[in-house]
Amino acid sequence: MAKKVLNVEDDVHTRIFVSTVLERNGYTPILAKDGEEGMRKIGEERPDLIILDILMPKECGIKMYRELKTDPSFKDIPVIILSAVSKRTFLRSQEALTEFGDETVPEPQAYLEKPVEPEDLAEILKKILG
Amino acid sequence: MKITKILFVTDFEELLFNALQSLMGLRKAGLNHVVLLHVIPREKVAMRRGIGYLKQEERKLREIANIRFIDWAETLFEQGMEVGAHIAVGNTVPKVLSVAEDEGVDLIVIARRKRGKLEELYAGSETSDLLRKTVRPVLIYNYISQSGRVGENPFERLLLALDWSLSSERALDLVLALKGTVKRVDIIHVVSEKDIGKLSKTEIQKLERENKKRLNDVCDVLVKQRSDVRSHLYIGKIEEQIRKGAWEYRATMIVLGTGSKSIWKERWSGSVSHTLAERSELPLLVIPAEIK
Repeated sequence: MAKKVLNVEDDVHTRIFVSTVLERNGYTPILAKDGEEGMRKIGEERPDLIILDILMPKECGIKMYRELKTDPSFKDIPVIILSAVSKRTFLRSQEALTEFGDETVPEPQAYLEKPVEPEDLAEILKKILG
Repeated sequence: MKITKILFVTDFEELLFNALQSLMGLRKAGLNHVVLLHVIPREKVAMRRGIGYLKQEERKLREIANIRFIDWAETLFEQGMEVGAHIAVGNTVPKVLSVAEDEGVDLIVIARRKRGKLEELYAGSETSDLLRKTVRPVLIYNYISQSGRVGENPFERLLLALDWSLSSERALDLVLALKGTVKRVDIIHVVSEKDIGKLSKTEIQKLERENKKRLNDVCDVLVKQRSDVRSHLYIGKIEEQIRKGAWEYRATMIVLGTGSKSIWKERWSGSVSHTLAERSELPLLVIPAEIK
């Protein structure tokens, strides 16, 4: 059975791009357009991997990532961040939140800055999911 | 009433990142989420004879806004803030209202905005239109005032104008929720000239005593939270006196409630909050009577 990959992304063009890469590489794409919908779909679909954007409406990727990594039922789902926000910013934001008293969370399995080449995304997916 | 999530509306001309950054003092009052909104005016991309809808132009304008927002968001993320962004095409007020509703923000921050003369005659300014339609507090923010008095923390010295209405109570609630951000509050009540015109001296004295007592009661509530609170009773034209009070006590922001007058009622009778929204050189925080 094909592994399920959830893409949480507000930009429709990127959703189509990621979805195409996933299908071509034998994965089943599940799509969500913001963090709120993303969290709901994780509960419903139990994806094998999550590709997560950072700058999104409603619930941003920073918060969603923390929610995932501090929830015992979801913390082991691998996460690839795919964002125009730099990795350095992401890591600093996590440090800042930890300073404000939140739990420390691990780094994501991979961090890809937009735009990403389809082969690069496919290679990382293969490395994580096999 | 707490401010944890704000909607910052920018056209990249009036309100820029320094204005947004100056609001970060609200973190002490619980702010942890900023939603950015840029509305591309429809006329910039609208159909042109022989060319059609300017899709390419829209894409370009969206991309420009997106790059700016990513830059702003990176700085805010690094400060531990949550950030979301919306870029839309259309009319500002309906877009602001719909994003504010979708995101469930506690405060809308917007620059004072004007329309074309003809449109303004019929519909009023965009700011007035927003104040009429929203059920959320609105900060009409001119970051650099003519007097240069708005510093790095616009919430530092508040002039809280009370008229003893329900929206005034809400305004007081909001000021109480800003605990930790505000250093001084000057509470002002203005007795309208019209109201005292036909009164005897004794009646005026009675009115003065009643209002002073109410002001002192509010002071007592605020004093429990912060040390520097003063109350003042003014007489005259309400909007004019509020502006005077703000000047005299070196306020960095005026806070007041607003009623829900229709556009025609407002045109005839005038509205203090709407007039101040058009004229005040200081940032103006307006709280509606009904709050969502």
